[in-house]
Amino acid sequence: MSDAPRPPARRPGEVAFSLLLAVFSVTAFWQSYAISGFKGLSEPGVFPMLASATMLLSSLVILRDVMLKQAGPETGFEPFRRDIVPVRLVVVVGLILAYVIAMPLLGFVVSSAGFLFLAVWYLWRKGPLMSAALTLASLAAIYVIFRQVFQVVLPQGSLIQGVF
Amino acid sequence: MEVLGHLAISWLDPWLLFLTAAGTLAGIYVGAIPGLSVTMATSILISFTFKWEVNDALALIAGVFVGGVYGGSRTAILLNIPGAPSAIATALEGYPMAKRGEAGQAIGLTTVMSVFGGFVGIVALAMFAPVISSFAIMFNSRDYLLLGMIGILLVGTLSGESFAKGAFAGALGVLIGMVGLDPMTAEGRFTFGSITLMGGIPYVAAMIGFFGVAEALTQLKNLDLPVIRQKIDRIIPKLSDVKRYFRLAVRASGIGTIIGALPGTGGDIAALLAYDDARRTTKDPEVPFGKGCKEGLVAPEVANNAAVGGSFVPMLTLGIPGDAVTAVIIGALFIHGLKPGPLLLVETPHLFWFTVGNLALANIFLLIFGLTGIKIFTKIVECPKAILISLIIVLSAVGTYAIQNNPAHVYWMLGFGVAGYFLKSYGFQVGPVILGVILGPMMDANYRRAMIGARGDVGTFLWDFVSHPISLVLSVAFLLMLLSQTPLWRPLVSRLRRRE
Repeated sequence: MSDAPRPPARRPGEVAFSLLLAVFSVTAFWQSYAISGFKGLSEPGVFPMLASATMLLSSLVILRDVMLKQAGPETGFEPFRRDIVPVRLVVVVGLILAYVIAMPLLGFVVSSAGFLFLAVWYLWRKGPLMSAALTLASLAAIYVIFRQVFQVVLPQGSLIQGVF
Repeated sequence: MEVLGHLAISWLDPWLLFLTAAGTLAGIYVGAIPGLSVTMATSILISFTFKWEVNDALALIAGVFVGGVYGGSRTAILLNIPGAPSAIATALEGYPMAKRGEAGQAIGLTTVMSVFGGFVGIVALAMFAPVISSFAIMFNSRDYLLLGMIGILLVGTLSGESFAKGAFAGALGVLIGMVGLDPMTAEGRFTFGSITLMGGIPYVAAMIGFFGVAEALTQLKNLDLPVIRQKIDRIIPKLSDVKRYFRLAVRASGIGTIIGALPGTGGDIAALLAYDDARRTTKDPEVPFGKGCKEGLVAPEVANNAAVGGSFVPMLTLGIPGDAVTAVIIGALFIHGLKPGPLLLVETPHLFWFTVGNLALANIFLLIFGLTGIKIFTKIVECPKAILISLIIVLSAVGTYAIQNNPAHVYWMLGFGVAGYFLKSYGFQVGPVILGVILGPMMDANYRRAMIGARGDVGTFLWDFVSHPISLVLSVAFLLMLLSQTPLWRPLVSRLRRRE
């Protein structure tokens, strides 16, 4: 038996992710080339080409390293879903996306109240009343500190303009 | 006399005093709460403070930086969870001390020693920055190009899983920084005909996305970690302890300042190196290392705070950030119309001396806040992550929107946040991405200036890198860095050692 440390096992979805990086790098190089081609060495596209070529080269090395790693004990989509994209992550990203879309329409106060309430309720799991109380308190603090003290212009809603 | 006046600005102005104190106090909590990082807080703060007077913004940000580097030690001692990477070594000795009922002593000793380290770093900044700055005036375009590449590569290689991942992250950042109209020819780069993209991607959106949202999403995995409470006794350290570890503190602060001043290295590496140095040089520790040894507690804490002053040296003199936080601060300076680099000390010396004085003031506040309010502190750091994460996202979104009142920037922030989450999940560091975003345009401009200077001739361009002394030193450093990451390095080093 050898005492040499064994390389860590592959993370779920790591091969696909590394492949994706390589594809992205090829696309980036192609787009960099499209800026000014090889017309000259001080053209605007040269540095982007150097950067994307570095990305491509390193993504290929990363892909090779990942392929050399031992496969994890579990296969299939389940370990990826559990470790990398758990339901909690999907729900929170969905909530952020809804929040980002709602902010210019409903304004900062309404959209943030909605997001904070739903996120705290979902993540903290202490019931709707506690979540609502916490939402109100933290929103009031943020509003006073940033709007009143720091004079930050907070987004105004286009649908309910003038209310908040 | 003029210098003294600039140094004392933040000490005499009540508003600046308040901002520095508030920043330091907030920084201690930010650094202490696992899941919140100084980089995250600084990047969000920039979006709220960019319309302020530059002194006000810098006072708040410097306070957060100083407090945040120290704050990581608190949770490392009390909960065995380093609040920041620079407190990893602190947890190794601090937590065993806390388990022995000596949490108060550990906190007191780290506070006093952190302040000592902080002051050494500031003195080094005040002494060496003007010297380096006057030397850096001799740097030309290719030297800046090399410095930028060295900075990104150092961050990439020292903080991540592999060199390839660091290089990928840095190059990705450079590419993001290239989006928009080329400043020399007004030609579009990666704009796809979009007017929004012609203005470029605001790096504050990238910073908040990669450091704020990505970190918040990553923390979703650790929502259910239990909190262990510790008993806290006397906080004020014994004078005999301070005297006893003074020599160690001097050595550790030297390590911290030098490591902090190297582009790309920060408090985390300084702390680990100082810890290793203490372990090797301490002959008869009262308690073995790993079991609550005070030498092992003092060295990393002194070093990571000394690294704060050190990290300002390359940022202010060369325009190259020392670590991720200074990369964000450099962004703040750009937003305020300042150009960190050799000319900063010539054109705006008041700003340099203000920063030095302000960092010193933040260290005084650190001593005050570090030795008081521990009971309230333990309550606040137990704030559930579920609430923290939700609040971070709201602050990130509002902060990004506040830069130009543009909803598109918030979409960028979310996109970068999700991309950062996946990169972090697969062992990439996001620090090099941000360094790339900030340094990319500078490197591009300097590359093209150097190439135009060589009249587009590759031979002349490459010859310039070896025919000028400064360029030669930097080129050799860069090549050695590249070589050290290849399989050739180990056989080469062992062959050289055998020959010796």
